Amino acid sequence: MSSSSSSSSSSTLRLYLTCIRNTLEAAMCLQNFPCQEVERHNKPEVELKTSPELLLNPVLICRNEAEKCLIETSINSLRISLKVKQTDELENILTKKFLRFLSMRAEAFQVLRRKPVQGYDISFLVTNYHCEQMQKQKLIDFIVQFMEDIDKEISELKMSVNTRGRLVATEFLKQFI
Amino acid sequence: MWFQDIASKNKLIIYALIFFVLFVLHVQSQASTPLVAYLSISTPPLCHGNLPNEQLSSYTIEMVKGLRPEVVEIAEPAREGYHLTLRLNLNQIPRGNDYVKVITEISAVQSVILSSQLKEILWNVNSDDATQGMYKPIKLIYHPREPFFVIRQPQRILAVFPIRFKEKSDVIIATAFFQELMDVGSSDKWAKAPPCTWSAIPPPELRGETFEDLSTNGGFVTFDISCPHIEGKRLDKTIWNLLNFNAYVQYHVKSTKGFIQRRMRKRLENLVELLHHTNSEENEQQSKKHKGFRYAKKLASSSKYNNLKKKWGNFGRKIKRHFRLKIHGFGRFRQRWLRFSKFSSTGYTKLE
Repeated sequence: MSSSSSSSSSSTLRLYLTCIRNTLEAAMCLQNFPCQEVERHNKPEVELKTSPELLLNPVLICRNEAEKCLIETSINSLRISLKVKQTDELENILTKKFLRFLSMRAEAFQVLRRKPVQGYDISFLVTNYHCEQMQKQKLIDFIVQFMEDIDKEISELKMSVNTRGRLVATEFLKQFI
Repeated sequence: MWFQDIASKNKLIIYALIFFVLFVLHVQSQASTPLVAYLSISTPPLCHGNLPNEQLSSYTIEMVKGLRPEVVEIAEPAREGYHLTLRLNLNQIPRGNDYVKVITEISAVQSVILSSQLKEILWNVNSDDATQGMYKPIKLIYHPREPFFVIRQPQRILAVFPIRFKEKSDVIIATAFFQELMDVGSSDKWAKAPPCTWSAIPPPELRGETFEDLSTNGGFVTFDISCPHIEGKRLDKTIWNLLNFNAYVQYHVKSTKGFIQRRMRKRLENLVELLHHTNSEENEQQSKKHKGFRYAKKLASSSKYNNLKKKWGNFGRKIKRHFRLKIHGFGRFRQRWLRFSKFSSTGYTKLE
């Protein structure tokens, strides 16, 4: 029963990630485009949203109610916002702690946004400059790998905290005997 | 805890140490008798109203005397404002490996006093209530902000710990720990340990206590202590565990947070490495295309190049020095032919 549920969850995860990968491949056609409002400025249109003609329709990919991914595209930038699953309070605080930790060190990632979009846990902002500096395919690989790693890390952290708790509880009870 | 040097004049050295604001130690030593020190202790009773006149009981004093009889003596009367004064014969402390052991034992005087108080409470109190069928909880204050309750019932004693934390994350980590404590405690292997339960709401035994005492954010942990847990040597262990339970949980929460932080930092490094690996792969591919550039860069940074540059520089200077006669156009000739070409990453163009 448990093996079948785990295999189905892994297959849904694979489908979810494949869908995101395909959408990103389609959406990541960015080009240099100067700002239409301010002369000699070059701003990510997906953030400003001043010119509707430069924006594409946002794509929302949901695995379930708790896990979703919003991909917003414009002519020169792409914003990917992720909502990570949090089944209980421990997962909730671990996710918050970890994603806040990463967001505070966003400069290390280049494409990570310091503040997530409202309603999401973490956001990426990819501009045409990032696409010029890095290979498009590798960038997509990184984002998908990041999503996989976050899920894995949160579950591992939760297990480690519980295991630590069990060990500490055992040591405490040992003192009574 | 803080440490205060009250006075160090007239060859009289006095120190006061204050633990948890309420527990005060006063150490006094004189230059004329350097091998004798007086240690005065002021401690609030663990439980108000159960000890006569808020003084240390004879049992507690006996326990303190038993610490190290050859070193510790009870000085009568106690220093004014303190409950107990000990005369420490420092010359009686054995030298060698036992030195630290003896000092550690003497410094544990606070725990001896508090544990003996708790022992007395567990032995004596509530006997009247028990006969009437009422079991009133006793509020024990080991730490001012962390009181706990002891309820004596027939054949068992309940120790109830209200759990409070400042941060929500601490509460969640502690709750996970309590769940594990319940699970582990309920297994057959730990049948000899006191059963432990955790509930978000106060246990019914605490009915009638003040709202302040019953309002918590971490719930209530209850230990069900029966006769085997307080028999013989196990009594000391049980007392120690009960008095330090709050500190134990707090330490676990603190170290778990540290563990999470370390793990997150490690994970961050891995993720950054993953991204940089992507970049470096790309750079590698680019650099393969421009082998000439790589060679030039290597040459520019090699020691051979530096030596050659030095030699040519010296040679040029010598020629300049020896040719006092100015030859028209020689400067341009020297610049053109007697100078080693510079390599830079930006200025290099691949020769066709």
